Amino acid sequence: MKKECVAMLLAGGQGSRLYVLTGEMAKPAVPFGGKYRIIDFPLSNCCNSGIDTVGVLTQYRPLELNSYIGSGQPWDLDGSSGGVHILPPYMDSKGGTWYKGTANAIYQNIGFIDLYDPEYVVVLSGDHIYKMDYHKMVAHHKETGAECTISVMEVPWAEAPRFGIMSVDERGMITEFAEKPKEPKSNLASMGIYVFSWQTLRRYLNEDEANPNSENDFGKNVIPAMLRDGQPMAAYRFSGYWKDVGTLESLWDANMDMLSPESGLDLLDESWPIYARSINVPSAYLGKHASVSHSAFNRGSDIEGTVENSVLSSGTRIAEGARISYSVLLPGATVESGAVVEYAILGENCHIGANCRVGGAPENLSPEVWGLSVLAPGCSLEAGRVVPPNVMLDRNGEEVTR
Amino acid sequence: MNGMHGIIFSYEKRNNLRELGEIRSASSIPFGGRYRAVDFALSNLVNAGVTDVGVVLHGRYQSLLDHLGTGKDWDLSRKRGGLKILPPFAYEQKKGDAAFRGKMEALVGVRSYLQEIRQDYVVMMEGDLVVNLPLSDIYEEHLRSGADITMVCGADSFEMENGTYFEFDGGGRITDVLYNLHTPRGYRGLEVYLLSTRLLLELVDECAAHDLFSWRRDVLQAKKDTLKLRSYVWGGFAAQIRSVKEYYDRSMQLLDPAIRAELFCAERPIRAKGADKSSAYISPSGSCVNSLVSDGCCIEGTVENSILFPGVVVEQGARVRNCILFKETAVRRSAELAHIIADKNVEILPDRTLIGHSSYPLVVAKRCRV
Repeated sequence: MKKECVAMLLAGGQGSRLYVLTGEMAKPAVPFGGKYRIIDFPLSNCCNSGIDTVGVLTQYRPLELNSYIGSGQPWDLDGSSGGVHILPPYMDSKGGTWYKGTANAIYQNIGFIDLYDPEYVVVLSGDHIYKMDYHKMVAHHKETGAECTISVMEVPWAEAPRFGIMSVDERGMITEFAEKPKEPKSNLASMGIYVFSWQTLRRYLNEDEANPNSENDFGKNVIPAMLRDGQPMAAYRFSGYWKDVGTLESLWDANMDMLSPESGLDLLDESWPIYARSINVPSAYLGKHASVSHSAFNRGSDIEGTVENSVLSSGTRIAEGARISYSVLLPGATVESGAVVEYAILGENCHIGANCRVGGAPENLSPEVWGLSVLAPGCSLEAGRVVPPNVMLDRNGEEVTR
Repeated sequence: MNGMHGIIFSYEKRNNLRELGEIRSASSIPFGGRYRAVDFALSNLVNAGVTDVGVVLHGRYQSLLDHLGTGKDWDLSRKRGGLKILPPFAYEQKKGDAAFRGKMEALVGVRSYLQEIRQDYVVMMEGDLVVNLPLSDIYEEHLRSGADITMVCGADSFEMENGTYFEFDGGGRITDVLYNLHTPRGYRGLEVYLLSTRLLLELVDECAAHDLFSWRRDVLQAKKDTLKLRSYVWGGFAAQIRSVKEYYDRSMQLLDPAIRAELFCAERPIRAKGADKSSAYISPSGSCVNSLVSDGCCIEGTVENSILFPGVVVEQGARVRNCILFKETAVRRSAELAHIIADKNVEILPDRTLIGHSSYPLVVAKRCRV
């Protein structure tokens, strides 16, 4: 079955900078924004962009992610041809290896892509929060006659050294690419979203694999090689909200951004819906003493206490007399009476006993010692326990260093 | 282990649902924030392992068809069996679009479907019943008691539109079947009946042959001495949505945590269509107490003792008390609502005031601008 366009979603990352949150699941399966998981964003973007064939490359603790994706029905990716396919590394007659790098992950699945004989392959990342029409990007790729198109966005100059930076000519074609340059020549940062003409990419993947010195990475190896050879490469400018949520701080930031549509992340806007797997629990109940302000909450929750500037996922329970502020509670977290949770991320099914104190406001501390407090999924705190700012606990309630 | 087949009746019957019933049958009335009434019957069946369900329709069923789809939200989109939508295919040729006179007439209209039932037993339910019954237990009880028909009753005799009431002896055997009562007595029938497929077919054919149409009169009353009719009493929450007042009172009972815990118990989850909306949000100016709030609501005003369906907007300065607001209702700035049921996509313009009373909640019809 021929497809014009196939998307390959890189979801194999360990997400080690999310520490305890990714102890038992791959990063794209981490809950976000109260009712989503990170992977809902690229999958919904595919669905809304008319891409119906998606390969999801997994290798690190994939069970949670696999069961979440299931048949792909929530994203309309369960059609009779195409659909969503989980692609772990596999063995063949010559053996097999783990995915060695982003390019190697695609290389190992050349056979999968060839099944659909596509003109274009869109390579996506499983750890970004954004709404984007890939169809427009593919159209741009066709118009410019490029072999590779990279989506870019302007970032503040001071932050440019953290990104892969593109220099472009007046036609928007890429002239230079520098990975994390100390002295950036441009402030156009790569978003890690690529469109390739498949036959060209296929050739470069084979060459890259044959090179024993390559790290088999798109940013480090394949893109520079194509640029060296003078392949036409276009930059596709994106101006909406985009955030890499690969760190605890950026994950928390993106959750807070969701509360303020001015940030550009407006999830109530239904012109580009983000889909999620639905759960069968009733609407949220706000109790007689509930006080909720500038906060998001979800079905299955029972809120009797005070909640400010926070994001509460489904099935959370906040007892009367508890106070939550500037925090992100993942599904099923419960907070008992008298407990105070500030500037924290509570993992799934965490239980905070009565009169605990978790985290603290940055105002009261010097910036070097302040940080978010983070509890691993399943962590249960006995009544009265104090977890200072910048402390992370594993599921047994023991401190973990970052 | 399970030999039950589900039949849900969703044709128009006498009721007092006013504007809420103008555009839909009672089965597809939104209930409890994110459900439709029929979700309860479907979930009760599915949670008891029932894999084949027929929904008998007649009149104003576009809304219900849209809701049911292929049945996939209840895992009833199956290769074999699953959800079967049963418009009155055999009936309309003979009688045109006149409403069914009774359940037996409705069943005669789908006789060929009944013939194909794979299971030995049938559960018949009404689409307007909001309950979470342990149907597996009722099935086992039916087998154990050797009853011909087991009928589920509430442990009360609430007055209802077009209600059926049962009297039974100490052993649970039905002694009388009553309806059109001026003052209800006995036990309120939930109109959930369990019987063998074979008996159902016999009764359907017998009624057809004598042009009898009423399940209550021509089967239950006529045969109470020859068939073994037994009761199963359900003491939990059970609402039958047949009037606005009943709808309102029963909805408001969901603000009681004990009733929610029972109706939405985790062992028997109530399944519903997902809404694909974002989280609900309350702004710094908003406040919301003692209320059920669904996905995608945005509250900038004040909400008390209310039930908000997905995507309801309450703007700054607006006050909403004791209201039930269906999907996408918008309450604009400084409007005030009390004891109002607003149907889907209603818009209340700025500074408007609409006040009903608990004894007579006002209904604002779908898509009205006030």
